[in-house]
Amino acid sequence: MTIIKTEDLTKIYPGGTKAVEDLNIEIEEAEIYGLLGKNGAGKTTTIKMLTTAIDPTSGNAVIDGYDLRKDKDKIRRIIGVVPQDLTTDADLKGIENLRMIAAFYNIPRPEAEQRIKDLLEIVDLSDWGNRYVSQYSGGMRKRLELICGLVNSPKILFLDEPTLGLDVNTRSKMWKYIKDIQKELGVTIILTSHYLEEVDQLADRISIIDHGKILITGTPESLKASLKGDIVTMEFQSKEDADLARSYPGALEATITGSSRVRMKVENSDTELPRILAYLMEKNVSPITINVKKPSLDEVFLEYTGSSIDEDIDPEQFRRMMQNVRRLR
Amino acid sequence: MSGLGPLTIREIKKWYRNPVYLIVGLLQPVFWIILFGSAFDIAKFGGPFVSSFFDGAKDYITYMIGGILTITGLFTGMFSGINIIWDRRLGILQRFLVSPIKRSSIVFSRIIASVVRIIVQVIILVAIALVIPDGLKISPSFTAVDALLMVAAVLMISFIFSSIFSIIAIRMTRMETIMGITNLVNLPLMFASYALFPPDLMVSWLSTVAKYNPVSWSAESIRLLIIYGNLTGSQMSTFASYMIYLLILTVVMILLVYFVSESGIKE
Repeated sequence: MTIIKTEDLTKIYPGGTKAVEDLNIEIEEAEIYGLLGKNGAGKTTTIKMLTTAIDPTSGNAVIDGYDLRKDKDKIRRIIGVVPQDLTTDADLKGIENLRMIAAFYNIPRPEAEQRIKDLLEIVDLSDWGNRYVSQYSGGMRKRLELICGLVNSPKILFLDEPTLGLDVNTRSKMWKYIKDIQKELGVTIILTSHYLEEVDQLADRISIIDHGKILITGTPESLKASLKGDIVTMEFQSKEDADLARSYPGALEATITGSSRVRMKVENSDTELPRILAYLMEKNVSPITINVKKPSLDEVFLEYTGSSIDEDIDPEQFRRMMQNVRRLR
Repeated sequence: MSGLGPLTIREIKKWYRNPVYLIVGLLQPVFWIILFGSAFDIAKFGGPFVSSFFDGAKDYITYMIGGILTITGLFTGMFSGINIIWDRRLGILQRFLVSPIKRSSIVFSRIIASVVRIIVQVIILVAIALVIPDGLKISPSFTAVDALLMVAAVLMISFIFSSIFSIIAIRMTRMETIMGITNLVNLPLMFASYALFPPDLMVSWLSTVAKYNPVSWSAESIRLLIIYGNLTGSQMSTFASYMIYLLILTVVMILLVYFVSESGIKE
């Protein structure tokens, strides 16, 4: 069942920046949907619109049957949000932050206490609930943020860059928590990220967004399959040898790059590689190196956006992150 | 109004856990009372004649306390605005904006917390003024009802100032701007009023301006109660009109905060 459907959702910021343009996406119930894109591609703006934090300039969306423009309060009751920035108050205890959020949703006290206890357990923070958030480490803080979005038992959980700024170890732990949450609570998760691996690991379906527009949507497998083939790169002694290799009839596409390197696209490298070698032997040339690349999300991204994703943090994000880190001390 | 309770509790908790706030908020008015309040002795200055200018106050501290309590409200009220900007800059506001709470509760909780802070400060300040030598001398006919009326005046004026600074902060992202505005308006609000000096001593244009300054309304109301306790007919009508002005302005501010924050509070 479709739980979110957007119709030409558009956000133009004052000054004319088109952050998101005519966005049309459909998200299915209980799936993990990944929005993959570079910094400034429009991911956060999309999340902010869908979570009622900002108003769209034009277009609309239906979220679990509610109209994004008319039923904001109803939508707020059924969604959970984990924004990119830290939203917990460091001057309060972890549990106090969660209680405050529970009170926002008018959850009765005993029920809220039970819920908070369970959530702290899911992210291994049971021993930390009664401590001030200012004493938490960066990873713990992010875990607390994660459950802040779950206090109201939402049907839909929005995660905006849930592992931004975390080290590799902490990041893979967060992935585990996110997967557990989806499994245990059955929520629909909408996740944005500019880490390819993250989306590949977590998402059931992915949309690639660039310059505020969705370029393609599909499962990670189907996106990889859409590249139609594997890449075989071979290096030869001479240009003549490379030319001979390029004429291999089974290649879908073959180009010479550099002085004597052939880049060949074949349908399936597992079956094609022995044939290529036999062909080369018959022509009496032998390659110096052979490299086979199965399609990765990396290649998919490159194919659709024309540039590879930059996993570095941009300066503005870095500034905010440092600001947050300072607050942790 | 959903959200008002938990958000106000948050503010109050943060306040009482950090006594520095309270102490800093008290130090300045204490200096005003002790240093400025003792700067000149009405009795030495010229006896009953001068005293008549000061509403018959026995000493200057007794005269100016109403003004100082009002100004304390002004200084503390400014923080409600600063806290809104803090939450915006730190990202905490994002959590509030995606929660099913009234947008205005984000602002009202600040104002209420501010008013609570001011009331506590005022009680402590009055206590200090009473115990210091040659300090505050409250009229013997001062009753519990007078005390309540005094609290009501403080409550209204602090609500008014907290609201003004919150409204300014609703769209603002820079801390410096609101600090600048506050510094700019503090002095004129304080001196173009009856907070520290009686109107009869002022140059006539200033006393005219001061008549319309809410600081004067609150300062005069408190002063009348403290000096006379039991008000005569004409004092009563002056007092009542000031209190009514304050009440009207408070209601206007409630409406203004409500409408501005419901539509205007953004990230």
